[in-house]
Amino acid sequence: MSVRRLSGMSPTGRSLAIFGLFFWAFITLFPLYWVLVTAFKSPPAVNGGPTYIPWVDFEPTLQAWRDIAVGLRGNFYGTVINSTLVGVTAAALATLFGSMAAYALVRFPFRIKLGSGLIFFAIAFGGYLFLLEFSGLSRSGSMVYAFTCALVVSIVVNRYKLPGPILGNDDVIFWFVSQRMFPPVVVAFALFLMFSEFGRSGLTLIDTFWGLTLVYVAFSLPIVVWLMRDFFVALPIEVEEAALVENVPSWRIFIDIVLPMSAPGLAATFMITLAFVWNEFLFALFLTNTKWQTLPILVAGQNSQRGDEWWAVSAAVMFAIVPMIVMATVLGRLMRSGLMLGSIK
Amino acid sequence: MRNDPIKYLFIWPAFMIVLAMAIFPLIYSLSISFMHYRLIPPIPPSLIGLDNYINLLGQERFRAVIWTTSIIVMVSVALQYVIGFSIALMLNARVPGAKLFRVGLLLPMLIAPVAVALIARMMLNPTIGPLNELTTFFGFPNLPFLTDRYWALGSIIAVEVWQWTPFVILLMLAGLQTLPEDVYEAATLENTSPWRQFWDITFPLLLPISVAIIFIRAIESFKVMDTVFIMTGGGPGISTETLTLFAYQEGFKKFNMGYTSALSFLFLIFIIVIGVIYLAILKPYVEKRS
Repeated sequence: MSVRRLSGMSPTGRSLAIFGLFFWAFITLFPLYWVLVTAFKSPPAVNGGPTYIPWVDFEPTLQAWRDIAVGLRGNFYGTVINSTLVGVTAAALATLFGSMAAYALVRFPFRIKLGSGLIFFAIAFGGYLFLLEFSGLSRSGSMVYAFTCALVVSIVVNRYKLPGPILGNDDVIFWFVSQRMFPPVVVAFALFLMFSEFGRSGLTLIDTFWGLTLVYVAFSLPIVVWLMRDFFVALPIEVEEAALVENVPSWRIFIDIVLPMSAPGLAATFMITLAFVWNEFLFALFLTNTKWQTLPILVAGQNSQRGDEWWAVSAAVMFAIVPMIVMATVLGRLMRSGLMLGSIK
Repeated sequence: MRNDPIKYLFIWPAFMIVLAMAIFPLIYSLSISFMHYRLIPPIPPSLIGLDNYINLLGQERFRAVIWTTSIIVMVSVALQYVIGFSIALMLNARVPGAKLFRVGLLLPMLIAPVAVALIARMMLNPTIGPLNELTTFFGFPNLPFLTDRYWALGSIIAVEVWQWTPFVILLMLAGLQTLPEDVYEAATLENTSPWRQFWDITFPLLLPISVAIIFIRAIESFKVMDTVFIMTGGGPGISTETLTLFAYQEGFKKFNMGYTSALSFLFLIFIIVIGVIYLAILKPYVEKRS
């Protein structure tokens, strides 16, 4: 076989490949089919052992869906709205801020001294402990002061000569992308504690829209910067240069030329981010209680609340899956048109 | 590259959000990890230096959890890579209905891990699940898929493979499409067997992207929690407990925050060490090829 197609392949090899594909497709799709039919089964049909085909070996019913509709299984309407609001806002903000940052990192030179980064760390860390110990400020007060101080000092210091290496654009991009390596649980506990401290000083962040959304924006940014950087690198620079000759300001070049040209990339990035936020469990578990609970938490709760009522669990799972399957189809369209390829190279 | 002060305006929003929501919590959590800090009972935190870290490293449960997580990551990522690469090769060979296969085969990675875990529990149910019917047919009724330690570990690995093989398929397929056609034509002219073509051309050319894919998958797998949380809750005993789940149990069941922060930092260090070793071992191969 030329490995790229089966033309030169023996008939046996060809049928083996097709068999393999069918086999894996069955493994992939059967569980999804199963959850779909189980959502339409009645309790006795579930507990009587496995049945496969509606109208043939069980009589489909809408019982599970009716239970959800009347609110027997928890607040589904509110949760779906929460998930949608948080997901769309976080994905939109992350795509916007991420592409701004990615564009800046592609088109403008940055020089950040490693020394000023270390100074930021030292002042934020030491300053927080110092203020907490000796100033009598509350914990949230110490945090805000230490953070602001560290930021201001490190920006000022960055203008002066410092020993140590200077980080260029590629290092900054690496820094952004490497955020993705952190196990979220490291930050999740700290955020939970920080948000509780701020709550004590009057700024409620736990179980609020902005608290959760901003966290999601922060954790989507690495992926957005990574994907969008590749789209921007691939854009022809001549158009922008022509605009520059005409003295068009940079922000107008970005909004009027660059963003429209990379619209397909923005759409794909938006959808990937939305999928990430929609499915995310850990942060939602830590940072929400009841008001801004998202879908994964509610779906996870279905299992423990009333025992294994699989028909209801299936219907709940469908709520979490179907929007993403619709999106996958759209994404698949985009992919076939060769759009995703640029982001991977 | 042009210079324009507006560049700061472009980069600051993203920079500030990451700084405030990821870096600063990280620093805060580092400070807590040196303290004795419990939420319940609410005693004021006190600095205790490295005690949390020393305690943890001496704890057998911690070592068991690292071991469990590493097994899940190594076995599942290896399977994902092998299966994903094979499927990508099959898809790339122009089989009838390839477009349909592509959409269908990519579905699992877009589903919430929580939902995947619930579906898995349904499939693996020892009395009313469809898998039980299959194994009963072969003479093994009521296998303890989630209640025996080895079966449970295997089930979690299977679910991870089910969910994340599509990711490998997607990226390997993209990689395959960038391969130069003429090299294969030349190889076919010289009567090189397909098997040799694969090992001498396809595999080496795809080595850099393979290294990247395995790296991404391994890093992501180390964070696994939702799946295990729903499927087994870490049980039976602690035999399927992963690092993130362990941190969750310590933090939200015992409210021992200093200890949990120390735990998550050891976790971070562990991931960084593994990542650096992995990249250091494979770098010469990748560079030699490209």
